[in-house]
This record gives sequence, C-alpha cells and structure tokens, in this order.
Amino acid sequence: MSAPTEADAAPSLEEGDDAGASPHAPVTLGATSPAGRVLGYVWTPLLVGASWALLYWWLSQRELGSIEQRNLTWSNVRTAFVQHLDISLWATVFVLLIAIPLGVALTRPWARRVAPSIVTFASIGQGVPSLGTIILAFLIITRTGRNAAIIGLVAYCFLPVLRGTMVGLQQVSVDVVKAGRGMGMSRGQVLRLIELPLSVPVVLTGVRTSLVLTVSSAPLAAFIGAGTLGAFITSGFALTRPTLIYVGAVLAAGLALLADWLGGIIEDVLRPRGL
Amino acid sequence: MTLPSTKTDDVTVWDYLERRWDTVLELAIEHLLLVLGSVLIATIIGVGLGLLVHRHRAASTVLVTVTNTAFTVPSLAYFSVFLVWFGLGLQPSVWTLVIYALLPIVRNTITGLAQVDQAIVRAATGMGMGRGQALLRIELPLALPVIMSGVRIGAVLTVGIAAVAAYVGGPGLGSEIFGGLGAIGSARGVPQAIVGTLAIVVVTVIVDLMMAASHRVLTPKGLR
Repeated sequence: MSAPTEADAAPSLEEGDDAGASPHAPVTLGATSPAGRVLGYVWTPLLVGASWALLYWWLSQRELGSIEQRNLTWSNVRTAFVQHLDISLWATVFVLLIAIPLGVALTRPWARRVAPSIVTFASIGQGVPSLGTIILAFLIITRTGRNAAIIGLVAYCFLPVLRGTMVGLQQVSVDVVKAGRGMGMSRGQVLRLIELPLSVPVVLTGVRTSLVLTVSSAPLAAFIGAGTLGAFITSGFALTRPTLIYVGAVLAAGLALLADWLGGIIEDVLRPRGL
Repeated sequence: MTLPSTKTDDVTVWDYLERRWDTVLELAIEHLLLVLGSVLIATIIGVGLGLLVHRHRAASTVLVTVTNTAFTVPSLAYFSVFLVWFGLGLQPSVWTLVIYALLPIVRNTITGLAQVDQAIVRAATGMGMGRGQALLRIELPLALPVIMSGVRIGAVLTVGIAAVAAYVGGPGLGSEIFGGLGAIGSARGVPQAIVGTLAIVVVTVIVDLMMAASHRVLTPKGLR
C-alpha cells in the first residue's frame, strides 16, 4: 500500500488533497520487498502486452468484413499511435514548461498574497472537462486538429500540475529554508540547493500526472479530426462496427497504462536519494 | 467575459444563455443527477469492497491496484465499449462514472478503517459485540469522515468525465459541447460550447459544496 494521499478529510476544492491531480498515487504490489518492486515494474507491461496479444489473436480468429479490413491496416494502426503520442507528448512538454516555472514563481515571497487564491482557482479549474477544452480550442483558436488538441490538452492539464507544484513547494519546511538563510545562503541559493531538490518528488508527480492525463484524454481529439487511437472508436461508432471500437479501446487503454507505468519509473529513478 | 469576435453578427455567450437558459438548466440538472446517481452506486460498491478486504493486506493491495489500473484507462474506451454492451442511453455513462469514482472511495475506505483505534474495537467486542456488529456500529462510523472525503473526490472527478456521456446517448451538458462542435461555422457554435463547458465547471463546484455539506452532516457528533 502506498501512502494514502486522500487520508485527511480535507475539502477537495479548498485545500489539502488533490481532487484531480493525484488519484494516481503509485500502488505497487508489496513495494517494500525487492521482489515486489520488480513485480510492480513488470506487471503493467505484462498486462498490456497480454491484452494486445489477445486482441490480435481475437482479430485473427474473426471473419472481418470489408469495412473492418479497410480500417484495420497496420499503417492505420501505426498512424494512430504516432498521432496519439505526438499530441500527448507535446502537450506534456508544454504543460511542464509552463506550469512548473509558474508554480515556482508563485510560491516566492512576493506572491505570497496571491498564492492561496491561485491554488483555489486551480482547484476549481480541475472541473473543466477535457472534452470542452479540446473542442473549444478547435472552435476558437485553430481549425488544425492536431494543434487544437495539443492546446486543449495543455489547457486541461495545466491547472492540476500547477496546483501540485505549488502545494508541494509550500510543503518544503520553512525551518529548512531559515536554516539555509542562517548559514549565509542567498535566496537564490536556498531555492537552488534546498527547496528545488526537496520538491523534486512533487515535480516528478506533476510529470506523471500530465503524462497520464494527456495520454488518456488524447482519444477525445478524434472528435475534432485529429486522429489518435480514439479515431478507431469514433469510426467504429459511426460505422456501427464494434470490432473497431474494441480495437481503439484496448489500444488506447494499454497506452494510457504504459504512460502511467513510465511516469512511475521516472518518479522512482529521479527521486533524490534519501527522500 | 470577452469573446473572440469573428463576425459582426456574433452571438455572445449572454445572448445564447438568454435564449436557451431553460434548456441549459435542464441539462445541468441531468448532469448533476447522473453524477450523484453514479457516485451513489460507486459508494455502495466501493465501501462494500473496502469492508470486505480491509483486514487482509494482500487483498487490499490487489483491490487498490485493480481500481488504480481501471482509473488510468481513457474514459472514451469505457463509454464506447459499454455502448456496445448496453446500447445507447443511460447505462454506458453510469457504469463508466462508477468505475472512475470507485478508486478514491475504495482507497479511502481502506485507509479510514485502518486508522480506527483498535483499542476501541477491542472494547466493543469485550462488551459482547460481535465482529460484524463492531465493524458496522463502531468502525464504519469512525471511518466515515475519511470515506466521505473519498466520495467527495470521486464525485468532483466524475463531473468533467460525464461530459462525454452525450456521445453515447446519455444525459447532461456534454450535448451542449457536441452541439457547439456540430454548429461549427454558425454564429451559435462557439457560445454553445463555451456555455456547456462553463456550466460543467459550475456543476463541479455545486457537487463539491453538496459533498462538503453531507460530509459535515455524516461526521459522528463525537468527532466534530
């Protein structure tokens, strides 16, 4: 069992726990033992690999109609994967580039007045549906599906990551900062040598959160013609071909699980020793 | 609220709301009821499962891992697969939302029950209470605040996801967002999608406030 993140009964839109940002506290099977750790790392790829293999076997057993055959070519699958990864990775990069520096800036002393209201705003903003941000980006900003999807996903993930960064930085103990100042460090040194290293886990959680949120919301980009693995689902819906829906669902689900798994590995590898 | 103006005969968000506020209100109520109903089902299932496994460490870990995995899967995958299974209508949406609400509820049920002081439980059994009785009359009420905060998180989370319900014939405000996309090129497209999106944010805040209120009501007197 991982440390419970929502154990405290804190109100979710005002303070404390992460309503949207961190239902993803990593749970690894028996994470304390080395064997359990390895199992935790291996479990997800095994599960995804098995489900994709099963899907392939199931498809090869079936008599596919002409419509299904036309849609289920290797090049279509590859294109959908590439579109999916392209959109979600760029969105993740932009979210991190914007949200983390902003989170650092807004937790500086000069922003102490506005910080709480920003956190509250970001919490309320977590209620913004990704479907809405993607479709609005398409209607208002650009009619290019891919770019609209990236912008929409950034708008959707930005607030949870900003909020996570701010809350995490605020948790770095005031005493440790004072100790650093007392040792003769400048403010910049305290930030660089104490606060940022101590908040690395928070930032890494932000990386994981944005990875998972973008990859699992990317299928919605199919509604604005940006392809992705969601396109199999929308075509399957439009053509009433359940086979296509299953293909899209299993592939998209597997990719989201792999994103979460990768995020977990990044968290474990980059966490400073001793934390 | 200033809006990007592309044409002179633009419909503003306010124009749109004025013309269709009754429809928007109706959809918002549908949306709210969809979320509350799904969360209620998820609470019954989640608390039940939590009560079953909370004494067994391995079973708890497996249950949390499974709900965690289920939580990571994209919502569109659930909506569409359940659509194939149950057909158009309410069902695919409800089951999708139930799955998402389960994770925080299950996790907080297990956490909340684990935090109950075992001395109190022993005192109860010492007074002649059975195991099941102690669980339902002592442990569950003491764990209720933590469980309720899980329910609250689950409820807030599912409001945004419920937007996609309209795609599979379900209720709620998603139809305004899809309607805006469908009306692309007409003057009302953008305001309609904006109204749908913002109304969902409003519903999120309302759900959160409702949950906060019930959280207070359900906390046992001695713990307030």
